[in-house]
Amino acid sequence: MPSRRQRHRFERAVLPNGLKVLVVPDPADALVGVAVVYNVGWRSEPEGRTGFAHLFEHMMFQGSAHVGKVEHIRLVESAGGVMNGHTRADLTAYYEGLPPSALELALFLEADRMGQLAITEENLRNQVDVVKEEILVNVVNRPYGDFPWITLPELAFDRYPNAHNGYGDFSHLERATVAESEDFYSTYYVPANAVLTVVGACRPDDVFSLAERYFGPVPRRPAPNHGPWPEPRLSAERHRVVKDSRIPQPAFAIGYRTVDPIGDLGHYVVYHVLAEVLAGGESSRLTARLVHRDHSVTEVACLLGTFGNDDFLVRDPSLLQVIVFHPGSATTEALLQAIDEEIGRLASDGPTKAELGRIVASSSADVWRSLDSTLNRAHMVASVETIHGDAGLIDELAARISAVGAADVAAAATDLLGQYRAVLELQPVPG
Amino acid sequence: MATTTLTRPGIGRLRPPKPPALLEAELPGGLRSVFVRHRPLPLVELRLAFPLAPAQIVKPAATNILCRSLFAGTEAHDRLALAEAIESLGGNLDAHLNDDRLVVVGSVLSEHLPTFLGLLAEVLTTAVYPEGEVRADRDRAADEIVLALSQPEVVAQQALRRRMFAGHPYATPLPSPGSLKRVNAAELRALHPALLYPAAAHLVLVGDLQVPRALGAAEDAFGGWLGQRGGQDSELAPAGAPRPGPLELVARPGSVQSNVRFGGEAASLADPNWPAMSLAGSVLGGMFTSRVTANLRERNGYSYSPRSSVRHRRAGSSVVLAADVASAVTSATVIEILYELGRLATTGITDDELELARRHAVGRFSFETATLPGLATTLASLAANGVSLGYLSGYPKAVISTTKDQVNEAAGRYLSPRRLVTVIVGDPEAVGGPLSVIDEVVVRNT
Repeated sequence: MPSRRQRHRFERAVLPNGLKVLVVPDPADALVGVAVVYNVGWRSEPEGRTGFAHLFEHMMFQGSAHVGKVEHIRLVESAGGVMNGHTRADLTAYYEGLPPSALELALFLEADRMGQLAITEENLRNQVDVVKEEILVNVVNRPYGDFPWITLPELAFDRYPNAHNGYGDFSHLERATVAESEDFYSTYYVPANAVLTVVGACRPDDVFSLAERYFGPVPRRPAPNHGPWPEPRLSAERHRVVKDSRIPQPAFAIGYRTVDPIGDLGHYVVYHVLAEVLAGGESSRLTARLVHRDHSVTEVACLLGTFGNDDFLVRDPSLLQVIVFHPGSATTEALLQAIDEEIGRLASDGPTKAELGRIVASSSADVWRSLDSTLNRAHMVASVETIHGDAGLIDELAARISAVGAADVAAAATDLLGQYRAVLELQPVPG
Repeated sequence: MATTTLTRPGIGRLRPPKPPALLEAELPGGLRSVFVRHRPLPLVELRLAFPLAPAQIVKPAATNILCRSLFAGTEAHDRLALAEAIESLGGNLDAHLNDDRLVVVGSVLSEHLPTFLGLLAEVLTTAVYPEGEVRADRDRAADEIVLALSQPEVVAQQALRRRMFAGHPYATPLPSPGSLKRVNAAELRALHPALLYPAAAHLVLVGDLQVPRALGAAEDAFGGWLGQRGGQDSELAPAGAPRPGPLELVARPGSVQSNVRFGGEAASLADPNWPAMSLAGSVLGGMFTSRVTANLRERNGYSYSPRSSVRHRRAGSSVVLAADVASAVTSATVIEILYELGRLATTGITDDELELARRHAVGRFSFETATLPGLATTLASLAANGVSLGYLSGYPKAVISTTKDQVNEAAGRYLSPRRLVTVIVGDPEAVGGPLSVIDEVVVRNT
């Protein structure tokens, strides 16, 4: 039986209109995954139109020249398929998982909405309502709903692309127009700004010829600017306290700046290892200290990226976030000091060999887990290709993590201690 | 813009997924096990499920803490050393409560499976429940319950469970912070052998494994534990259908949204009506292309993600239709849902809907059982519900041959508005008045 333990087979082609096509065949897979990732996220949306990239993602399900409103989804479901889409800081992903016999249908559907989206006033107003409900359920009515993925970047960054709320202000969403949608579409949803990926039960030659048939007629247009929008590190510590009557317990998040995730990837991987050493598992430094020794914290997590699970799918500037929920038995200052102490210990002594060994084992297991589902594999491959220009990073990641040494981690810890950080603190107050 | 002249490709053939080859075996001590070699990822997924007795379901504080303190130390390892040992295998190991069972969930790099099973066996046979760790775990559990109960969807789940299963152990709410803080180590040491013994358990191992070798590794690792005798009566009375009654409004002052929940009895996994009922549920709200989504989301823009889902338990499955909506459209949403329920139960589904629902059900089942955790969870759930593993091939076949009449009958039996009870979490000032226009409303404080 072929094994995914071996390196993936990446087969690539570029259509004359600039669309990158990437096929990762896997004869052991009974299903096929299709993803189209556009090189545009909420960092690209216009000022005064926060949330537009995500709203636009909704419009991509509202019909195109040969596909009626929501018919895309009906066809995928009736083919026995599953689908979804998501918007992040630097990309927007659309993906379907299907039985292999429905591959051609999926390519037709993706090509139709790439080439000839149909945007109507009625559908736009309907989706503005739906998106507002989405924000109500996920943020406004949910304690901690915007913490820290919306509120920490607002504090840690200054430039509009990096600092604004990617879910959107209601007033901005309500003012969105059909003309703006068409403009956004013709600027960003062009073949040269997209990656089409097909993974699983497929033959590369079949995929290339189907891709040419369905995506070939989409006209070539120039690829837009997709950032990055770098900005200097903070010149003074920022500490913002938000009083919130909906939350039962205090929490805080620290945002440290990392190096450039793309231009300095080799070094960025060290921050990934540092995040794992700090709070990657039950035996990690901050979990062992704050949760299991001091009993001062309910939960501590450490993430790379601006959203949460986008560590290798984000451009500069990125963050290393430490997120803490605690019952208030210790002060924020005391907890920050304990975190500083733990980072300080790493800066002076580095992690142990055993710690690094555990991180190599758990990180490589995590990479495998993320590739298990055909659907997730499709959008992950396309997303890495979009952000890094080479999905081969997926196969290299374990080796890159293994190559990180104790001195590298100590240097990254020193970098955290030496920089001004952003601390966002939530305090419960009576309603 | 160029227009294509291409015709739309077909939706392809409907093929049930090929069920994986699996081996069922009873290990010494009566441990029922299933082993599956599945997919070439270098990982193995583990489930070890234990049925809860009614007395344990109605007193969830101790089982909740046991799930945490189970890994708080053994005779050979303290908590940190145990965590380090598991993580060095690329593994994770946790215990969760799942309605009427406790499930140990694990995953590991396949090359380390024997060592991993050895660590699990060590936990099962020599967990020590250190006093200090148990105290810390119960305090942390109490904090986490407070966090969970601040989430409106958790409040809605709790309220619906209480309403649907009144008088039955399934109505038991999440443990209160106070009850969690009263759990002590001695109680856990007594509960451990009464609950975690092999004769009542189901073991599932799925992944990159050689079946005979994995079976041997399990027997070797669990040797000492397999000799342990327990014995508790885990029989549960059938939960039955909820008694009809007024609409229950759970007060959440200041809430900007209402969590609308309709709940009722569902066909169990073993019930011959289950495939038809699952299709009726799909047409109602179980797929994106369902009636409720078309109405509440795409026509009215009331709700981001209205949906219906079924939860199987060994003494009673349930169906829940959920929609989170702005306060101002709460009563309008209830009216639309009642309309869709009534329409489905009385006028039935179309041929197109039947075909769509069948294909969607088969496809979703293929995807659910295609990943390691998905397949392991499905197998553990079948075993815990006393359903033959032949379900893996039987369910898709049954779905494909289900007729429109059978779906319509199931809709009338399980999804008519009279069969479902309604619970809404929301701001009484904003939604109480309009709701009382359409139904009798009882307001409860959480």
